[in-house]
Amino acid sequence: MTARGTPSRFLQSVLHNGVGRYVCQLKRISLIFSKKGQGSLGVRDFIEEGVVDFAKSSPGTVVYISPQSCRITKIVAEYLNGNVKEETVTNKTSQEIAELITKLSNQSGLDIIRIRKPFHTDSSSIQGQWHPFTNRPPSIDPVGSQTK
Amino acid sequence: MVFLTLSCWTRNRGPDRYWRVQELLKSARHFRGRKNRCYSLAVRAVRRAFIYASKARKAKRRSMRQLWIQRLAAASREQHMKYPALIHNLLKCSVELNRRVLCDLSITEPRSFQALTALAQARRTEGLRAALGEGAEPPGVFSRITQLQGISQSQRS
Repeated sequence: MTARGTPSRFLQSVLHNGVGRYVCQLKRISLIFSKKGQGSLGVRDFIEEGVVDFAKSSPGTVVYISPQSCRITKIVAEYLNGNVKEETVTNKTSQEIAELITKLSNQSGLDIIRIRKPFHTDSSSIQGQWHPFTNRPPSIDPVGSQTK
Repeated sequence: MVFLTLSCWTRNRGPDRYWRVQELLKSARHFRGRKNRCYSLAVRAVRRAFIYASKARKAKRRSMRQLWIQRLAAASREQHMKYPALIHNLLKCSVELNRRVLCDLSITEPRSFQALTALAQARRTEGLRAALGEGAEPPGVFSRITQLQGISQSQRS
């Protein structure tokens, strides 16, 4: 777990999201579960209760419900920048799944790796960045040999 | 088969060795030489790398502070002041900017930093005048807040 051995990125927002209108970065969310397995009980309860409310509250996200014969229950979230995040939700309660889905919808699709600095700015200097001639302009303070 | 005892001696060591090895080698991929390919060499190199990383987390704080102090000393000397005088007088004016912020100001906002050094210089001359002048001069403008506020008092102590 070294800094060079693990990937890292700078803090950024996707296309200055939030400065104008906020666009939900979650594109598609697919619930893959089985109709009769015990691990999918939470997902089935969530589909009965909360999925319609979630779909109505996030109009920019498409929700796919796909019952298949599978051993592990999954939620696959795809984001606008192309990242795909899979979470296994076997043996989770409906409440936990609801929290997980709100967490996924609040995320942008950027990778969850070490962020180098907790701040970022495009315009770092207002008065002009310091250079060796800021306080010693050559007109006042000529550099170099002035002999004879 | 005729010889049966040989197959009784074989052991199944476990199915996951490949993934255990790959997990270690992925932390060693950016190393030089055979340490990035061969498991026995990589184990030792990765252990050392992790130890260095743990120690460096403490040392990073120390070296960053040292860098800020060096930069502030250079920036204040450009404004004809010394670093200890700058820090002490800014503190006396209850300007509680830390070294990191002061360093960033000196690089990106040179005029603001010039103003801060002027403030510190003025406070310094007033302090010297008050100490040497035996109170004959009128009290200075910058040294009027003689008692620091409650929050900064508890931070100082």
